[in-house]
Amino acid sequence: MRRVVAVLVVAGAMSGAAADVGGPALDYALNCQGCHRADGAGTPGSVPALAGSVGKFLRVPGGREYLVRVPGVAQAPLDDAATAAVLNWILARFGAGDTPADFSPYTAAEVGGLRRNPLTDVERVRRELLDAIAQSK
Amino acid sequence: MRDDRRWIDRFVETASRQLAQRTSRRNFLTRLGSALVGSTLPLLPVARAADDSRLPPPDDAALKGNAGDPKSCDYWRHCAIDGFLCACCGGSQNACPPGTEMSPVTWIGTCRHPGDGKDYIISYNDCCGQSLCLRCRCTRTEGEKPIYFTSKNNDLLWCFGTKSRAVNCSVAVVLGVATKS
Repeated sequence: MRRVVAVLVVAGAMSGAAADVGGPALDYALNCQGCHRADGAGTPGSVPALAGSVGKFLRVPGGREYLVRVPGVAQAPLDDAATAAVLNWILARFGAGDTPADFSPYTAAEVGGLRRNPLTDVERVRRELLDAIAQSK
Repeated sequence: MRDDRRWIDRFVETASRQLAQRTSRRNFLTRLGSALVGSTLPLLPVARAADDSRLPPPDDAALKGNAGDPKSCDYWRHCAIDGFLCACCGGSQNACPPGTEMSPVTWIGTCRHPGDGKDYIISYNDCCGQSLCLRCRCTRTEGEKPIYFTSKNNDLLWCFGTKSRAVNCSVAVVLGVATKS
């Protein structure tokens, strides 16, 4: 009997763990997660973290535009609507505590316009935005 | 003292003869090797994809031919792999060989399981810290994009965030099931 119960518990755990992934979560997994990682932690020295960071860019002028114009977003092999959806998903998942209360989600039209104007000096813009974020505290 | 030596000699001789009569040398070496490896492996710094591999992977046992063989380029998870298979290099399709470290930065695609027809999300992590394994070289390109899409190109070496940039081999870890919403 104990063995039967154990088998049932294992089977239940396995079926529960078999999570399906679709929509913006799947787009994140296939286009972002490889570098930013499943928990948004990034890789120090190689890839910036999203968790605890991405939402803060929305607090300073130019930050909202920056999040679309960065190469990984602007050049993502996703259409404008899917890119807007995955950006909103990222902000909800990794920036919930930092995103301003009056944040309005990205739209396909907004993303389409911004990604056609990519950043030419990403590191400088990022540095300036991080300075502004630090001063806004 | 001399008597002690004789006793030890007789004991060792008898034990050796009995051992030789009961087992073949090949059998003995096989069991000894298994015991040593089995007891040692958990102590080695084996990198595992445990963080991202909570999903039980689909059953490969019923698959025919090389589609179920992790040491084959035709293994179903290898639809977009580019590198040496860790299953041929002392690791497995999920774990790096001892002495190497799994890169946290990886590239991710999907492969269809020929048994259940589902598309699974596969993470191709490089194992880093030793020179190229040079066994089971595979290049498959399903879902790969040109080099200017660097995050979707598997020609790159993906040893980022690791102590060493030297790539040894690649694993193919199941992360989940891809569904269309």
